[in-house]
Amino acid sequence: MSIVQVVGSGGSVAADRTPFYGVRVPNEVKSLVKPLSKLDKQVFRKILQLIVSDIEGSDIENAELKSLETKELNEETLHTLYMGLHTLLQCALRHPLTSIKQEAFKEDLQDLQVPKEFHSDLASVVFGSRRPQIERNSLDSRPRLPQLENLKWRVDVAISTSVLNRVLDPTVFMEMTLSNGKLHSFEVPVSKFQELRYNVAYVLKEMEDLEKRNILKIQD
Amino acid sequence: MALMFTATPSIKKAAALINALDASRFPLILSRILQKIHLKDERTFSEEEEEKLQSALRLSAPDLELLLQTLEFFLQQAAYHTAKPVVLGQQLQQLEIDEDKVKAIVEAWTNSAKEIVQKLRQCRLNHKQLEDINWRLNLQMAQASKTKMKLPNAMFELGIKDENTQEKEKIKLEFTHDELYAFYNQLETIQRQLDSLS
Repeated sequence: MSIVQVVGSGGSVAADRTPFYGVRVPNEVKSLVKPLSKLDKQVFRKILQLIVSDIEGSDIENAELKSLETKELNEETLHTLYMGLHTLLQCALRHPLTSIKQEAFKEDLQDLQVPKEFHSDLASVVFGSRRPQIERNSLDSRPRLPQLENLKWRVDVAISTSVLNRVLDPTVFMEMTLSNGKLHSFEVPVSKFQELRYNVAYVLKEMEDLEKRNILKIQD
Repeated sequence: MALMFTATPSIKKAAALINALDASRFPLILSRILQKIHLKDERTFSEEEEEKLQSALRLSAPDLELLLQTLEFFLQQAAYHTAKPVVLGQQLQQLEIDEDKVKAIVEAWTNSAKEIVQKLRQCRLNHKQLEDINWRLNLQMAQASKTKMKLPNAMFELGIKDENTQEKEKIKLEFTHDELYAFYNQLETIQRQLDSLS
């Protein structure tokens, strides 16, 4: 029986840690390696800037990307670079800051054969000052049901109606504006209003319990 | 208390018809009218039923109509003024209706008065009313652009019923913790207003 020892390419130790990009290297990142090795630092920085504005949520013009084209850097290569770096950064940004470390990140970049001179720029995007804005943007853009934008209300007391002389019964009238633009106006009898209030309070309490509970349970 | 009924000629005629009625059928007619009194546009008896009543009570069509309308009128007025049974009895007697019929009307009214007034109170001009409240509490764990999240989320579904068309609409809303807290505060403000009324 012979023992065969397999050595990893970068010689890194942590064989039990999954790299930030997942178990398999994404295709866009694989095709990134060759053109990246030939890339000039200035152009790299410009591409990176565009990617970051995109991730932060601002629209970028196609023209801006096109302007980076040169004789050596044709459209196809440029697109490959853009896509590869974008995917790379997306993978890194998926992890909350508590579960990804800079050294591990740089190690993984090394494994991916990203040139060393680009490591600090990439790390500064993931760990640097622009990260909060990126986080805010990804929270804002998540799929959601409409939210209550505005609630206008009114308490009416009906004194008399055509069928009953003395009513003196209060009712709540609500007008809800939702974030999808729809306007809903309806009446809420007092008993239903109490039910609504009870339910909202109950859910609030459940939510608070949940937040207290899971902070202790789910470990990152 | 103000007079609910003035002795107009048609009421006088109806009174005579009521007096002539067979006492056994009377309570049944009364209870049917009381059942339908809070529903505005519905006829108390269907056309077939009216025809049967005509032959059973040996009344002509216009007479039957007058009879039924007057009885409905008596009971509607009693409801409108939330009349005490004694007062109702007195005023009916003044219209020269026989005692046994007066007794029957007062009894029917006494039995169902509370319910009817309750139902009439609920009659609203404004059609859409909140009927159902359903909710769901979620914990968002991840999304396409982020993993390892712990974001609590509440989904509410409010069922709105349109009284006129009987259509049901469902409003779906979503709240984060802060949004729900803001909504709760608004509801509390409304509650304070309601409390200050009583």
